[in-house]
Amino acid sequence: MGKLVRIVEEGDVAYNNPIVLEGLPDVGLVGTIAASYAVEKMGYKEIGYIESDLFPPVMVIHKGKLKSPFRIYGNESVVIVLSEVAIPPNAIYPLTEALADWFKAINAKLVISITGLPAKDRMDIEKPEVFAIGNNEDAMKKLEAKQVDLLEEGFIAGTYAIMQRECSKKDLSAISLLAQCYPVYPDPGAAASVIEALEKFLELGIDVAELNERAEEIKLKARDLMRQTALSAPEMQKEVEQDIPFMYQ
Amino acid sequence: MEIERGVIKAMWGCEGNLEPLYDVEDKGSEILVTFDLPRVKKEDVEINTTEDTVEVIAKMSNSVCWERWGGIQKRITFQAFKKQIRFPVHIEPEKATASFKNGILRINLPKMRRAVLIGID
Repeated sequence: MGKLVRIVEEGDVAYNNPIVLEGLPDVGLVGTIAASYAVEKMGYKEIGYIESDLFPPVMVIHKGKLKSPFRIYGNESVVIVLSEVAIPPNAIYPLTEALADWFKAINAKLVISITGLPAKDRMDIEKPEVFAIGNNEDAMKKLEAKQVDLLEEGFIAGTYAIMQRECSKKDLSAISLLAQCYPVYPDPGAAASVIEALEKFLELGIDVAELNERAEEIKLKARDLMRQTALSAPEMQKEVEQDIPFMYQ
Repeated sequence: MEIERGVIKAMWGCEGNLEPLYDVEDKGSEILVTFDLPRVKKEDVEINTTEDTVEVIAKMSNSVCWERWGGIQKRITFQAFKKQIRFPVHIEPEKATASFKNGILRINLPKMRRAVLIGID
């Protein structure tokens, strides 16, 4: 019996202090849409996958080829983690722990979780704003230098929340970029906003014009993943993100 | 409020309709339902309500065609979204209102209620 979650590397990448992007399914599928768009636009190769007995017994077929739905793309300087199926809530702790261990092993200089911030009035927001969270002083300095608005009070829940904690435990700098989004509908507009914020850190020159132009097509393709993700949201305690934390100050 | 939600069944039918993503929220005196309707124009949305249901049929401006679709592995085309939602409480269909913006349909359905004033002894 091995580890609960295993990172399987394919190929031989000589990592050079990469920046890691985590875009696992969450509200609005912001991270998933943004991560897969970045993979496509930058032509990143598949460099690994994640396996676990805690994951659903699902494989995906693309162009006749069998793949894990939990995959890792990138090169020596950028690594992107994404999934085509919802993350089971009971897999979040071992998954984030295994990922943080691996990020440490490849000497990641920064871990960036990209996700959404549910906005009840999203329908009336033309361009979603992006907020950020940092897990340590170094991360906060980076956010300050890039002039990203900070999320100053509130609860965060889900994979990215625990990813921040696991990175802290391993002394890895981590930030989360959260774009205002529809809670239960795929949101390519929010993904475009988050990519623009991401550009301040990556400087890859990713143009979001195509993402905006193909927004309706993306929404149609992302329906099933959105539904799966929304079904697991109550178990992820996502509703707590709407609550006000209490601390006497 | 218990709302019927298809967990196992596919979100599409062979008759050319897709099931839209939707959300139902009990706001106390009314039920708020939203639908995500990409590729749909306001004038192509039809909403029918009864005392305990709302049905939306929305024609897409461009049909969706997928080759080798999922389990059936053949070409399939969808022209419209269609969904009926049944509520566990009665609503007042004639007082329902709707708006459509950025591909999101929002329907406010006031609940049917008889207000009874309770006196204090």
